[in-house]
Amino acid sequence: MKDRLMIVSPYCTIGPFFPASFVEGHDDLTHYRGGTARGQHIVLTGRVLQEGGDPTRNTILEIWQPDANGIFSSREGADPGFAGWGRARTDAEGWYKIRTVVPGSYGDRCPHANLMILAIGLTRRLVTTVFFADDPDAVRDPVLDCVKDAAARKRLFAKRENAGEYRFDLILRGEGETPFFLD
Amino acid sequence: MSRRYDPYDDRTQLARYIDRYPLSFKRTPLAPLVPRPLTLSEQTGPVAADLFTLGPMDLSKTSADGPRATGQLIQISGRVTDEDGSPLAGAAIEIWQANSAGKYIHDADRHNAPIDPNFTGEGRLMTDSEGNFQFFSIKPGAYPVLESGWWWRPPHIHFSILGKSWMDRFVTQIFFPGELLNETDLLLNAVSDREVRERLIFQFEGTSMGEVNAMGFRRDFVLRGRRQTPEVD
Repeated sequence: MKDRLMIVSPYCTIGPFFPASFVEGHDDLTHYRGGTARGQHIVLTGRVLQEGGDPTRNTILEIWQPDANGIFSSREGADPGFAGWGRARTDAEGWYKIRTVVPGSYGDRCPHANLMILAIGLTRRLVTTVFFADDPDAVRDPVLDCVKDAAARKRLFAKRENAGEYRFDLILRGEGETPFFLD
Repeated sequence: MSRRYDPYDDRTQLARYIDRYPLSFKRTPLAPLVPRPLTLSEQTGPVAADLFTLGPMDLSKTSADGPRATGQLIQISGRVTDEDGSPLAGAAIEIWQANSAGKYIHDADRHNAPIDPNFTGEGRLMTDSEGNFQFFSIKPGAYPVLESGWWWRPPHIHFSILGKSWMDRFVTQIFFPGELLNETDLLLNAVSDREVRERLIFQFEGTSMGEVNAMGFRRDFVLRGRRQTPEVD
């Protein structure tokens, strides 16, 4: 017999006034509880843009990813110096910046980080996944492979700008739109 | 234990596009959202209490024996469960709101109402083993959305909840019953269903008198997620 399910609460927009203190300190995943993360420390940075390529300011971005060995925070063997979760806010030009490590692969998942966008104008969150690879065409991943369009698929890869810096723009709507997943 | 997270049913949620809310038309993706399998990566999440410094559960003063902020003292309580009705213990809740004059402590707030030095306006707390939470605050004031030229937001409190995983992460705003501005708010009225609308509004829980004199309000939250049950023929 099936129990009756309760009805999920409605989301509403985060609005413009998410407190600064809820963001401060969460943009660095590489230092956690007195420890320092193992693996390659990087800056993941980019712009969050709306239709017409205009920047979105004051957008909240959250990240959840495995550590450099592909293990999620608080699970057995996880790197105690790595936070796993983080949060950043875009500036007036739409830029965000998060200090993290290159995520490790595990099972059938290639190196990736889950990203989520909360912003004015969005009644619900938007979720996507950023991938890290030298050769995107060679990557097989059960989530990435759901994006069938070749150009859209490429847009889910962070671009290595230089040692230690990866660029990933999120275009919420319009030309070059980032693929977002059903949520 | 594997859990099940179905996509949100649009009938239980606000519309994505809202007339007279221009940014909803500039930020909502044009392309259909892409269905994907849920792997370990999406079904895990941080232990929020480890990440956050939890604060005092009273937003109405800036120190334990400091003066109260101006306005009506309110006590907010509620319970966080999943779709099975099982309590979510140890969920981290972030709350933020305007003061009684309708002013936020935030760079983006240009409304010419006063900041109340005795009001914190924000808090972080955690649900107990039964999924319950409660805090004291001051009833927020209404305020104008200056860019709109007409829209006034009715009193409301923002909630952000980190539950069990990436999939049940939740953010909303909860309104007060009986407010005149509830009738014209773009967000509260972006729901097609009366019951959904009620889930965005506090229930009045009565008044308390004695050591604490406050008006009580309650709002329970149901986060997405349920036990994976085997198929039954």
